[in-house]
Amino acid sequence: MEFEYLKNKRILLVDDEREILKMLTSILEEEGFCNIATAGTVKEALEEVKRSTPEIAVLDVMLPDGDGFSLMERLKQEEEYPILFLTARGEDEDRLKGFGLGADDYIVKPFLPKELVFRMTAILRRSYKDENPLVKLCGSEIDFDCAEVIKEGKRIALTAKEYEILTVLYRNAGRIVTIDALCEAAWGENPFGYENSLMAHIRRIREKIEINPSRPVSLITVKGLGYKLMTRRQ
Amino acid sequence: MKSIPKLIRRFVSIGILSAVLILALNIVLLVIYTLRQMPNSYPWQTAAEVAESLRQTKEGSCVLPEDIACELEESDVWAVYIDDRTGQVIWRTRNLPESVPMSYKASDIARLTQGYIDGYPTFTGEGENGLAVLGYPRDSFWKHMWPSWDYSLIADLPKVILSVIVANIALIFVIYAAANFRLLKSVKPIVNAIQALPSGESYRIREKGLLSELAVSINKAADILQSQNNRLRRKETARANWIAGVSHDIRTPLSMVMGYAAQLKENTGLPSDARDKAAVIVKQSGRIKDLVNDLNLASKLEYNMQPIRLEEENMIVLVRQTAVDFMNMDYEGKYPIEWETDEALTVCPVNVDRDLIRRALSNLIQNSINHNEQGCRIYIRVAQEGGECRVSVSDDGVGADEGQIENLNNASHYMVCDASTDGQRHGLGLLIVKQIAAVHGGTAVVGHSAKGGFQVELRLPT
Repeated sequence: MEFEYLKNKRILLVDDEREILKMLTSILEEEGFCNIATAGTVKEALEEVKRSTPEIAVLDVMLPDGDGFSLMERLKQEEEYPILFLTARGEDEDRLKGFGLGADDYIVKPFLPKELVFRMTAILRRSYKDENPLVKLCGSEIDFDCAEVIKEGKRIALTAKEYEILTVLYRNAGRIVTIDALCEAAWGENPFGYENSLMAHIRRIREKIEINPSRPVSLITVKGLGYKLMTRRQ
Repeated sequence: MKSIPKLIRRFVSIGILSAVLILALNIVLLVIYTLRQMPNSYPWQTAAEVAESLRQTKEGSCVLPEDIACELEESDVWAVYIDDRTGQVIWRTRNLPESVPMSYKASDIARLTQGYIDGYPTFTGEGENGLAVLGYPRDSFWKHMWPSWDYSLIADLPKVILSVIVANIALIFVIYAAANFRLLKSVKPIVNAIQALPSGESYRIREKGLLSELAVSINKAADILQSQNNRLRRKETARANWIAGVSHDIRTPLSMVMGYAAQLKENTGLPSDARDKAAVIVKQSGRIKDLVNDLNLASKLEYNMQPIRLEEENMIVLVRQTAVDFMNMDYEGKYPIEWETDEALTVCPVNVDRDLIRRALSNLIQNSINHNEQGCRIYIRVAQEGGECRVSVSDDGVGADEGQIENLNNASHYMVCDASTDGQRHGLGLLIVKQIAAVHGGTAVVGHSAKGGFQVELRLPT
């Protein structure tokens, strides 16, 4: 798996079902996460937080001595770190409430382990920058710290828009990102009518990162839908 | 509420019509009566006739023709002829009462013309050189001799008559309106209540006034309807809540089945047939998950318990994101998605509930996946045609025969059907798509794909 630096992040799992906690722990451990704390109640969660502040928390909504929404509010008062809900409450109102209170994600049970891991990693990547952000592609490397591409020993600077687009693609490496999401990242809200500009930027990025820009292997087009960044391992 | 003004118009026209008819009747009666009274002017005519018929003989005396004399006698009428110059009576009938004077001054003439001589109503007629005076029996006529009016009164008569007519009509109208107002006042709430009955609104009317009995019955009917509606609503809510509760309770245990099975499936330390079995468990628990989600949403949509948040969205963005989510989950690459939307169409504005539309699109894509285990290519196209935004999801998979398509387009789903449920057990996925289309005022049309498989087109008004 990519993003090894995220594996040491301290994770707090809160769920009243011990079985679920056990399963979540085993799923995450299998993926390489090694710093996992669990709690079955609000009280236990607060004690756990006091002992050591987590870097991401996964909360259930229904807990025996309170609810996840108010627990999140209390946790957020102490310190800011990403929080996501993992709950059997799948109603739209609950989801909107969770997001409205500032949750980073809301996953409804049942879920596939892959989905949970992906979504947790996505949030972690957004929240914690890589301490060694040199991304290896097939024909080049991207240095996000300096906003530069290193190709054949030469350093090529990225423009602001190119940097934004590459950041979003990298956060979702190996997955398709829609044209709309890329336009929104580069041009903000209501990014309609920028498709052609996006295409131009993608072309320029390819010239910088690909060995043969007309036959791209790292930045792949999915016709009509979006683009996908492939890192060397993928 | 169109009936009340209609009712008022009707009452008013009846009022005006009766006013006009009453007036016309009065005029007709007046004319008839007056005509019948016309002959009463005959004493004056007789007097004139007598004056003309009197002939002076050579001796200086006067003679009345016999027929007229007889006529006067029969009617018990006396007559005198007064000489112009002397004021003396120069001729008289035989039946002249003694109290009648035999000589007259100018003032006497004026008085007898206007009134009576000793109680006998008198009438005059002008002769050649004198005046004939006829005296009718006492109490046979009542003489009213003021035949003079202001000139203006006669000149204004048409106006006066007109105003009398108008005043009459107005009076009758006021009486009518006052009488009907009470009736209308008591009818109006009843009409309102009856009209409110089918909508199931709670609408109570005052049980007072002219039609209080009717009001009591309507209130009773409204109460019965209301309580029936409430009972039905409670039942529906209970059913939807029950489904929501069950689907909630299934989620946690299902998470564990799915989670562990997925772990086993990925565990390379296990023999491959064990991993295959784990894969089946993952897949089937995925189906249970979809079923639970679908059942819950379908029941909520069916009983109008799903909150709908309409917002202006770009359909292209919604469809693209849903398609990409599936592609990102398709780890084995068995279900590639082809984007067939015209490149020129980058914005397709629709007023929709974002989550519901994405759910409908997911169901359509999932439908293609579920029915083509061997894998298939999925084609997605967004188009703007005829004031509609059309999203079609089709595949080159196994498809369906005519009968099945006919059934999918027209037969009710078992979940919303009270008839026998044999032979209509197609999945909930399409039912939800149809329900979601319906809450947006659109439709979902099932058909054959040009690529050989199945196709569903979602049509939403733009």
